[in-house]
Amino acid sequence: MRELVKSTFWDGLLTAVPLILGYLPIAFSFGVAATRSGLSMAEAFALSLIIFAGAAQFLALVLIAGGAPLAVAAFTLVAMNLRHVLYGPALMKRVGADASKRHAWAWSFMLTDEVFGAALGALARGRAFSEPFMSGLGIGAYGAWLAGTAVGAYAGAGALDGWPAVSAGLGFMLPALFLALLLSILQRAQLPVIAVAGVAVVVVTLLWSGTAGLLAGMIAGAVAGVMGLGRHAK
Amino acid sequence: MRSEVLILALIVGACTWAFRYLPLRADLKDLKPDGALARFLAATGPAAIATLFVAEVMPLLKLPLTGLVPLVAGVAAVVGVFVWRKSAVLATLAGSAAYGIAFALLG
Repeated sequence: MRELVKSTFWDGLLTAVPLILGYLPIAFSFGVAATRSGLSMAEAFALSLIIFAGAAQFLALVLIAGGAPLAVAAFTLVAMNLRHVLYGPALMKRVGADASKRHAWAWSFMLTDEVFGAALGALARGRAFSEPFMSGLGIGAYGAWLAGTAVGAYAGAGALDGWPAVSAGLGFMLPALFLALLLSILQRAQLPVIAVAGVAVVVVTLLWSGTAGLLAGMIAGAVAGVMGLGRHAK
Repeated sequence: MRSEVLILALIVGACTWAFRYLPLRADLKDLKPDGALARFLAATGPAAIATLFVAEVMPLLKLPLTGLVPLVAGVAAVVGVFVWRKSAVLATLAGSAAYGIAFALLG
């Protein structure tokens, strides 16, 4: 049996380096997009500070700029983040029921898609689970997210006016992120759920509105799952 | 700072934290793998992300034909780098870079 590698806070920070490099430009583009959507620097930073969920934050900009009612915006964003309920049990299943969770209330705040993925990857490579390690991993990612947001919001909406290609590339960051996340969780058994969601969002968006299309896609996909389409998905 | 933005952030932030923390404490041993809740949980994530991807791409499909070249390049880069590196971060950055480069080349 392979001996587990001890995991300290600093090991967690070191493991977070790829996340830091990836989060900085994405958070920068979020800060720029936020000011472009009419948010102040403080509002952009508050979203990153309090929510710390990239895709939901970008969507929040669309909903806020579109004037969506608070209840609709909150429901949409909360529904979007519902997938996070799966990460804790998946992580604990990997490390065992006896693992310490004393400070999980703190480090779990930073358990994003990428932190979860990086943690599972490190555990798979033989690193032992520890709460300091999870804290280092999360704080590295969180710090990069906050720093990138602050710089992007400070640079402001006009920061990229002289750089149309860079602006276009950053504008594609969100669809690229969603596609990459979709690929990271994709299983053949879930293709019917994805197809139902995709058809629903297209049809309802064309017939009604973009916000209604978002809700319709998520609900139709989830209902398809409950009804048994993609029932063998883990 | 507008109060509605702060309230929205607090609601979503609190729920997101609860989604991340509470399942760590919950005993899910009794959750039937093929039960309705398990199926709902399994389907919600893919459904939400697929919905968001389609919603983001739809406006790009309305561009002139030349505008689709960066989209194809970006999607191809995301898929290719993800298959190669199994990293959502790298795939996202590659897709964004490919889109920007194709946009620049088209002038």
